[in-house]
Amino acid sequence: MRSLIGFRTLVWREIYRFFSVFTQTITPPLVSSFLYIFIFGFSLGQRIEEVHGVPYLTFLIPGLLMMYVIEGSYSNTSSSLFISRWANNIEELLVTPLSYFEMVLAILIGGLARSLVTSTGVYLVSLFFVCFPIAHPAVVIFFLIFVSLVFSSVGMIVALFAEEFEHLSLCTTFVITPLIFFGGVFHSIEMVPAAIKWLTFFNPMFYMINGLRYGMLGVSDTPIFLSAAIVLALFLLLFSLTVYLFRVGFKLRK
Amino acid sequence: MARPAISIQSLVKFYRRFKALDRVTFEVGEGDFFGFLGPNGAGKTTTISAVTGLANYQDGKVEVFGYDVRRDYRQTRALIGLVPQEFNFDPFLSAEQILVFEAGYFGFSPREAKKRAAELLDSFDLSKKRKEGYKRLSGGMKRRLLIARALMHRPKILILDEPTAGVDLELRHRLWEFLRRLNREGITIFLTTHYIEEAEKLCSRIGVIHEGRIIALDPTETLIRKMTADRVELSLKKPLLQLPAELAALDVELKDGGAKIQFEEREGMIQKVLRALYEKGIEIERIDVRRPTLEDAFLKLTKKSPIEIKS
Repeated sequence: MRSLIGFRTLVWREIYRFFSVFTQTITPPLVSSFLYIFIFGFSLGQRIEEVHGVPYLTFLIPGLLMMYVIEGSYSNTSSSLFISRWANNIEELLVTPLSYFEMVLAILIGGLARSLVTSTGVYLVSLFFVCFPIAHPAVVIFFLIFVSLVFSSVGMIVALFAEEFEHLSLCTTFVITPLIFFGGVFHSIEMVPAAIKWLTFFNPMFYMINGLRYGMLGVSDTPIFLSAAIVLALFLLLFSLTVYLFRVGFKLRK
Repeated sequence: MARPAISIQSLVKFYRRFKALDRVTFEVGEGDFFGFLGPNGAGKTTTISAVTGLANYQDGKVEVFGYDVRRDYRQTRALIGLVPQEFNFDPFLSAEQILVFEAGYFGFSPREAKKRAAELLDSFDLSKKRKEGYKRLSGGMKRRLLIARALMHRPKILILDEPTAGVDLELRHRLWEFLRRLNREGITIFLTTHYIEEAEKLCSRIGVIHEGRIIALDPTETLIRKMTADRVELSLKKPLLQLPAELAALDVELKDGGAKIQFEEREGMIQKVLRALYEKGIEIERIDVRRPTLEDAFLKLTKKSPIEIKS
C-alpha cells in the first residue's frame, strides 16, 4: 500500500503541474480548436460535400480531437521530464523507493490526464457547432487512452534524448504535426492524389485518427481492428522502451 | 565498529575513459558520524551518487544495511535521506508542497506528510515561508529546506554533500548543532565537506579520498595523531644568521629572518633542540606549541596547498 501512495503522489504531482500552468496547457487548445472548427468546419466546410456520408464539420471533429490528444500528451510528458532534468529535480524522484515501472507509468498517466482534460474541452467546444450521437463509445475510450499513452511515451523518450528545450519543439514541428496533418485530420484518404496515397499507410497517425473517427461516427478509411492493433503494439513497444531507459538510467544517472 | 550502515567494496566508476573511483573500499558503521574528505574532483560526490542510485558504476558492490543498492534499490533508497550539493527543487511547488510530495513518494499518507512537513518547517524556522516557491527563499533557507526534505521520511542514514557551502557562520553553527542532535538520536551521518574544521568538530571517523582512491580511513583523533605531530616554535632573543651545525642536523627550520626556530615534536626532539641551543648559548624568549589539526593531516595526505583545498 505504501508503494501505491508513492505512485499516486507522483501521478498527482504530474496533474498538479499542468493545472498550475493551465493558461499554457489547457486554454490554448480550447481557443485554437474553436478557431479550427469555426473557420474550417463551420465556414469553409459548408462548401465541401459530405465525406463518407457525413457532413464535413462532423467528419472534422474526431480528427481535431485526436490532434489535441496527441499534442497534449506529448507536450505534457516531454516538458515535465525535460524540465525535471534541466532543473535537476529528477534526482529528487530517482532517490525515492518508487520502481522505475511506477515512475514511468505515473508520468504517462499525467500525460493521459492532460489529454483527456483537453479532449473533453475540445469536444464541449465542438458542441456549440454540431451535435451527433457517439457510434461506439468503447472504441472512443480505447483510442483516447492508448493514443495518449503512446504519445506520452514518445514525449518521455524525446525528453530523455533532448539536450535543449528547442529539441522538444523540433520534434513537434518536423515530425508530429506533419504526420497528424497527413494522417487525415481534415481529409479522407479518398481525397489524397493516387500517386502518394500509399504513403499514408506508413503513417501511424492515419490509423489513430481513423480509429477515433470510427468510434465517434462509425466511418473509417481503414479496418478498426488494424487501427487498434497498431496503437496497442506501439504502446507496448514505446512503454517498454521508456521503462528500459529509466532502468538503465539513460541521461538520468551519471 | 557497529554493523555497517553503508558498505562499499572495490567500487570502480569510469566517466568515459576517466577513472573516477578506483577500487574504493570502506564501511560506515551504524550510528557513525562519518566525514568524507577530499579535494575538488577527488570522487566524493561520485561515491555518494553510487550509494544513492544517482550514478551507475562498472564494478564493485555497495550495500546499505545489507541490501544491495542495485538489486534492492527500493529498500536502500527508503533508508537514505540525501542532501545534495546543488539546489534541486521542483520549480512548480511551494516549500510546504516540496516536503509533502517528498513524503508522499516515500509512502506517507497526505495527513502524515502534512503533519511531518509542519514539524520540520518549524524546526528549520521556515514556517512563515511555507507557501513561497523555493526561488523566493534566501540561500540559507534553501539549504535548510534541502535538509528538511531529506529528513521527511525519517531516514536511518543522512548523506550530506557539502551542506554548509556558502552558508553564513551563524547558520553553519546551528546546522552543526542540529546534525549532532540527529546523530545522538541514532541517525548515521555521512558528511562531505570542504571545511576541514567542520569535519574535525563533528565527525568521529574520517575517510579521505584523493584521485579516486581512499588514502586514509581512521577515527578523527587517530588520523590527526598518525599523520601529524605538535609544531613547536621557539622565538629567539637575537636572530640567527644561520643554524648551527648541531641544529641543522636535527631537521629544524629557521623562520622570520632567523628570529624563530620551528620543528615537529617527535621522539624527544624538543629536548635535543633545547640542549643544542643551551650549549651554543642561544637564548629563548618564548615557546609556542601548536596542536596539529585535521587540516595538517589532510594537507600531508593529499600534498595539496591550502589554497587549492579551500577553493
